[in-house]
Amino acid sequence: MNVDIQSLGTFNELAHEGAKEATASMTQMTGIDADVDVTQITLMDRGDVGETLAEQAFVGVEFDFEGELSGQTALVLDQDSSETLAGTLMPGDEISAEMAKSGVKEIGNIMMSGFIDGWADYLETTIDHSPPTYIEGTGKEILPTSGDDSPADQVFVFKSEIEWVDESVDFYIYMLPDQDSLTDLMADHADAEADAIPVDKLHVFNRMTQQGTKQAAENVSMMTGIDVEAEVSQINFTRIEDIPKQVGTDRYVGTAVEFTDLPSGFLLVLFDESSAKNAAEALMPTAVEGDELTDQHTAAIEELGNIMTSGFVDGWANVLQTSIDHTPPRLVHDMGRAIIDPLAAQVGQHQDHAFVIDSRMRTDDVEFESEIYALPNDEELREALEELAVERAEETDADPEEIFQE
Amino acid sequence: MPEVLIADDSEFMRNLLREILEEDHQIVGEVENGVEAVEAYKDKDPDLVMMDIVMPIRDGIEATDEIKTESPDANVIMCTSVGQEEKMKEAVKAGADGYITKPFQKPSVMEAIEDVVPS
Repeated sequence: MNVDIQSLGTFNELAHEGAKEATASMTQMTGIDADVDVTQITLMDRGDVGETLAEQAFVGVEFDFEGELSGQTALVLDQDSSETLAGTLMPGDEISAEMAKSGVKEIGNIMMSGFIDGWADYLETTIDHSPPTYIEGTGKEILPTSGDDSPADQVFVFKSEIEWVDESVDFYIYMLPDQDSLTDLMADHADAEADAIPVDKLHVFNRMTQQGTKQAAENVSMMTGIDVEAEVSQINFTRIEDIPKQVGTDRYVGTAVEFTDLPSGFLLVLFDESSAKNAAEALMPTAVEGDELTDQHTAAIEELGNIMTSGFVDGWANVLQTSIDHTPPRLVHDMGRAIIDPLAAQVGQHQDHAFVIDSRMRTDDVEFESEIYALPNDEELREALEELAVERAEETDADPEEIFQE
Repeated sequence: MPEVLIADDSEFMRNLLREILEEDHQIVGEVENGVEAVEAYKDKDPDLVMMDIVMPIRDGIEATDEIKTESPDANVIMCTSVGQEEKMKEAVKAGADGYITKPFQKPSVMEAIEDVVPS
């Protein structure tokens, strides 16, 4: 089974348009000025779906849908915002918990019906959906449990974030299609066989990025003594203009490198400023006074980023039996969006959508979080995956002693 | 004491290697790229070069190739974050005598040096 890049792009646009329709419905009902912030298709471990919802309390609605495309979909928002939302429907009334629940259910029903209808119209078919079910839960527990029979442990998930302008309220739409139904649909809508990537190779590639993240985390632990764990690693397929939004507006310190071989592209290793300081000081032989990042900190971060980059990409090179060259690491220190924006623009010269490899690692010992973003040229990534021998997927490590003895 | 030249574009890594080595070795130079590494080798004729791979201007494999072409008896250990099999093969082809991958601890550095320049 193949997925082709054009149909991934089409489906991403479809999800984005669906989310826009859903948002317009909400605006019409409530007068709330909202906008679709990010839409992406993600290939991820089943168990990681909804991980970014963290430990927050959410409410929302879920539906089952069936037809040419089947699965589950849910609209969720944080619990505290549900009363504000209901208040816009019934201005002047005191909002009880029951009224808030009813408001969420009604708005969710209208928004998600628009979302599903958009898919049905594009596919020129009927997609039936169940009545909405009100849901409550913490973090990813709120999302529907998949009824999918597919044995695949990695799944494609559609996710849109809708931002309520001028309020710190975000809505999330998750669509969790049954994987067989989705891959059949992708095959039916494949425009160009030449653009196709076999699904099993994409799964292997995702596994390799997970392995790369683990290696990068081990390198950090070895260098700093901080016990760091790889947390999430996933491949997103998203519109170029949505890429900077994924990184956010916090300030980061890290490194950027450009790959010069197949697949060309960029790789960013980013630390929030507190994490950067903690990691750098763990590398330094003497304590540094003050809260500012000094030249010593940035030199340490530059080297840490360099070693993490190698840890991340070496496994791909070894599995692909090629070398992946990159430029020396360049230190970056700015708002996240400002760091990634010029890189996304360069990738965007040749494509409207891009694969974004998004990996995170953290530790509970000290404040430490790091994110790795890779933006490969999608056509070159497809060419590289063509060369990927699935049976070599475990061959990520090279043994210098063995090679030097030959 | 054996004389060592360190070639690495990272000041942090040069400092770390110096701290590991200076007890038992004489550091005769620290350079930041492959061009400087070749020049410093000709100038200092050290017993050993610790060579990074990814460096600006000229990478460590090209520098090793030139050093070994002109001085086949030179001792070069690639000291790099790159753990790619094809890169290791390129390093062998360029004449590198040893290879250690970052991050490393002092024992692995000393072991690699002992293999190439026995005390």
